[in-house]
Amino acid sequence: MASVSSSARAGAQLLLPEVLARIDNLELLARTVVEGFLNGLHRSIYLGLSLDFAEHRPYMPGDDIRRMDWRLFGRTDRHYIKLFEAETNANFVVLLDVSRSMAYGSHAVTKLDYARYLAACLTYFARRQRDRVGIITFDDDVVERVPPSARNLDLCLHTLHRAEAGRPGELGRPLLKATESLRRKGILALISDFYEDAESVLSAVRLLQGPGHDVMVFHLLDPAELELPFEGVSDFRDMESGERIPVVPAKVREGYRVLLAAHTAELRDRFTAAGVDYALLDTSGPLDQALFRFLLHREKRSRVR
Amino acid sequence: MPLRFLVPAFLLGLAALAIPVLVHLTRKQKARVVDFPSLMFLERVPFRAESRRRIHHWLLLLFRTLAVALVVAAFARPFLHREDLAAGTGAGPREVVILVDRSYSMGVGNRWEQALEAARAAVRELGPLDRASVVFFARSASVAVRSDTDQGRLLAALDTVGLSHESTAYGPGLKLAQTILEETELPGRALVLVGDFQRAGWTGDEGIRLPAGTEVTPVVLASEARPNRAVAGVSLSREKVAGRDRITPSARLTRTGGDGEEAAEIVLEVEGRELQRVPVTLPASGAASVTFEPFNLSRPHTGGAIRFADSDDLAPDDVHHFVLSPGRAIPVLVLDEGGRNAASSLFITEALAISEEGSFDVAVRAGGGITTSLLDGVSVVVVNDRPLGGGGAAGALRTYVEGGGGLLVVLGERIRWPQELADLLPGVVGGIVDRADASGARLGHLDYEHPVFEIFRGPRTGDFTRARFFRSRNLQVADSAAGRVLARFDDGSVALAEKQVGKGRVLAWTSTMDAFWNDLPRQAVFLPFLHQVVRYASGRTEHQAVFTAGQILDLSDAAAMATVGLGGAEGAPDVHQERVAVTPSGRSLVLASGQGPRFLHLEEPGVYEVRPAGSADERHMAVAVNVDLGEADLAPLDPEEVVASMLARSGEVPAQRGDGGARAGRLRLEDQERRQALWRVLLATAFVLLAAETLLSNRISRIPGRSGFHAGS
Repeated sequence: MASVSSSARAGAQLLLPEVLARIDNLELLARTVVEGFLNGLHRSIYLGLSLDFAEHRPYMPGDDIRRMDWRLFGRTDRHYIKLFEAETNANFVVLLDVSRSMAYGSHAVTKLDYARYLAACLTYFARRQRDRVGIITFDDDVVERVPPSARNLDLCLHTLHRAEAGRPGELGRPLLKATESLRRKGILALISDFYEDAESVLSAVRLLQGPGHDVMVFHLLDPAELELPFEGVSDFRDMESGERIPVVPAKVREGYRVLLAAHTAELRDRFTAAGVDYALLDTSGPLDQALFRFLLHREKRSRVR
Repeated sequence: MPLRFLVPAFLLGLAALAIPVLVHLTRKQKARVVDFPSLMFLERVPFRAESRRRIHHWLLLLFRTLAVALVVAAFARPFLHREDLAAGTGAGPREVVILVDRSYSMGVGNRWEQALEAARAAVRELGPLDRASVVFFARSASVAVRSDTDQGRLLAALDTVGLSHESTAYGPGLKLAQTILEETELPGRALVLVGDFQRAGWTGDEGIRLPAGTEVTPVVLASEARPNRAVAGVSLSREKVAGRDRITPSARLTRTGGDGEEAAEIVLEVEGRELQRVPVTLPASGAASVTFEPFNLSRPHTGGAIRFADSDDLAPDDVHHFVLSPGRAIPVLVLDEGGRNAASSLFITEALAISEEGSFDVAVRAGGGITTSLLDGVSVVVVNDRPLGGGGAAGALRTYVEGGGGLLVVLGERIRWPQELADLLPGVVGGIVDRADASGARLGHLDYEHPVFEIFRGPRTGDFTRARFFRSRNLQVADSAAGRVLARFDDGSVALAEKQVGKGRVLAWTSTMDAFWNDLPRQAVFLPFLHQVVRYASGRTEHQAVFTAGQILDLSDAAAMATVGLGGAEGAPDVHQERVAVTPSGRSLVLASGQGPRFLHLEEPGVYEVRPAGSADERHMAVAVNVDLGEADLAPLDPEEVVASMLARSGEVPAQRGDGGARAGRLRLEDQERRQALWRVLLATAFVLLAAETLLSNRISRIPGRSGFHAGS
């Protein structure tokens, strides 16, 4: 796996959120990211999962030679790869937190922007896998819901495009509603900043696991949230509650980092224990880490089957 | 000595002490606001921010509040109340006038230093409640400090004024002192008169009446009469040689006091360069004169001086400054009959040729016609008892007069005045009056208000009564608006009359100007008389030769400038042009353009140059200024004479005001406060505290994590 991630760094420039912020069309963005990302991989790990032959295509370096059609090579003296129709047996739903705190960004890209790109890429990726794709946005309630469908890619992307951070957020109630609306098993990607106690978060995620969904959790945090780099005396105002407290950043920085690290560590541990794939993403970093997570998770799932 | 405040109401300002604390505690609202996704972790951090409601930097708070308190206290004017001072000393506070003579005779020896030291001593002797005024006087007087108890200010005022170049006049200074003493409400009055008590400055009828009870202390700085030399006068005779002015300077030198003869050297300087040096011997208490070799005068406004080579104790009167310009002689055309009567103009031409300054350029035309070209450029035409003739003579003469020319008509027996020019004369010409049978007529009435006779106004300035007139023409001046009679014979008939015609002047003399009809030309007064008549007919005015230090010139007044010989035919200084006056000591005074007076105070002896601003070379005009020679007489006056004169006349008791006591009480508090001036100390301390507070505050704010948020109060 290490070789995969190191080789993928070559195309990482394309995945930088600042670069992506210049692309207004989410579909184009997702396609660019996903195709670019995949082209950089040396080994195709997901094609050929189906048994239905689809077509041949010329061999390209990096293709799995196990998929080479040797018979055709014997006849034509050329290398061809056999392509198969993928199965469309999974639902992929993105659960996107659009609470007020997601509007925060200390650089060009807010957390919501980053979440939007990520959701678009994952949705596009899943659609390439022939999965049915859907999306649910929520804050303290479900805001918009696009049921999973093979035809709903555009609708999902459009919903993402419109998503705006508004009200204060909460995980319990909207995720309960989402669980109730998703009756068929599928893959759920939960994207949020998780500003709640680990216990509350876990209890909400367990609701999702109840019907048998595979849950991936993407924890987005801005670099400023991670480092608290502020200087000078300031009044810090909670973006959701509006509460203000005077803060001397230099004084509280260390304590803040410790508390935040403890929070993420607890989330990681408890998610892992609960069988939930957890990824902490810095919104200033490229998207490749998230995509790798998704690929790994997808592969793991296919192997289980 | 309890601490009291002169204006305790200002202490209400102590409420401002709360300002630094309030400002600090409420400054929280101005903190920067940072939007952050969630405060759930920040709220859990043990150290977040220290409460602003606690005061952390007591030293800063102390500095700030103390500074405010000191400023408030300073405005309340604190002072340490002394009962002994408030009760007064003896007769109570006095109003003291210190009168210091700053005339230039105070420059003899170290009189000026002695005078200042005497004045300082008078200031130091002032009681704690006494008020004093410092008045300097010379020809005029000015108050340097009026009724002040601050000895520092009084002493400083003594250092700000130097010697003047004016003469002494006790009247203005004493009058000013009298006014101050009369207006005071303090019970005591004193006058300290510091000077050399020159007799020349005291007339005896100054009319000074000091209030009763005034204590006069004369401080006499002249012990005895000192010998003194002076350049008493300078004569600059002028003659035309080959079209150029040749000046022959001579000077009259005086010496007062001294023993035996004294040898000295007199120096003639022109434009700052020494031209000649002549030795002279001055007798004791006598005079001498010296004449220099003539020199040519080429450029206008040439400055010069005649001075003693070595100055005595009183230097300013050892030099006489002058300014010379090439003379602008008045062109005079004398028209006579010629022939056998050619001598009729002899007295006229000879009289006009004698002039110290070459004032007249005389031409004689015997017979012939009178044409316009003949009169061109002539300022005065003298028709000396001859017929005018025809051929356009009448028209030419009328045009000439109306254009500004001067005409003197001598009405003798040969005059034939044409009828068409009758309106030019101030009256109607009649027949000849013959007084040969009697002893002749005399001039009985002269109009001394008229410029022609003005110089003969004083006694021994010209005796017209000696002249006898045997014949004259009858001139009937009927209308006083048309003609003005300037002189009459003792029988009432007109001797001299004038009339203004257009821009010109016509004067008619009803007798002749030779020795045939009268003997006036043989009298000494004839020459100045003729000069005056011709000069008046030409429209030229007599110029003042030099100015005296202390005089003031108004450069914007063209008429006044012309009378003092500045401007005139050259044109008065343009009031719309900015000018620069350079004083003898080299200072530049800018005389701004525009309307209104442009005063030039001639303070120093020497030559003042006036030129357009921005022009380095062009000397538009120059003014010579000399000191008043009256000051050169250093003979002292008995101070008792002055004191007695002022006090003997004062029999009036000054009115005591009813509220004088209460007012004096208030004054005492003010005086105590003013003398202590504690407010200055308080303000200075407040500034020091504020500066220290600024430094401390800046240092605290630079310490990481110790921002002003925590600092201070």
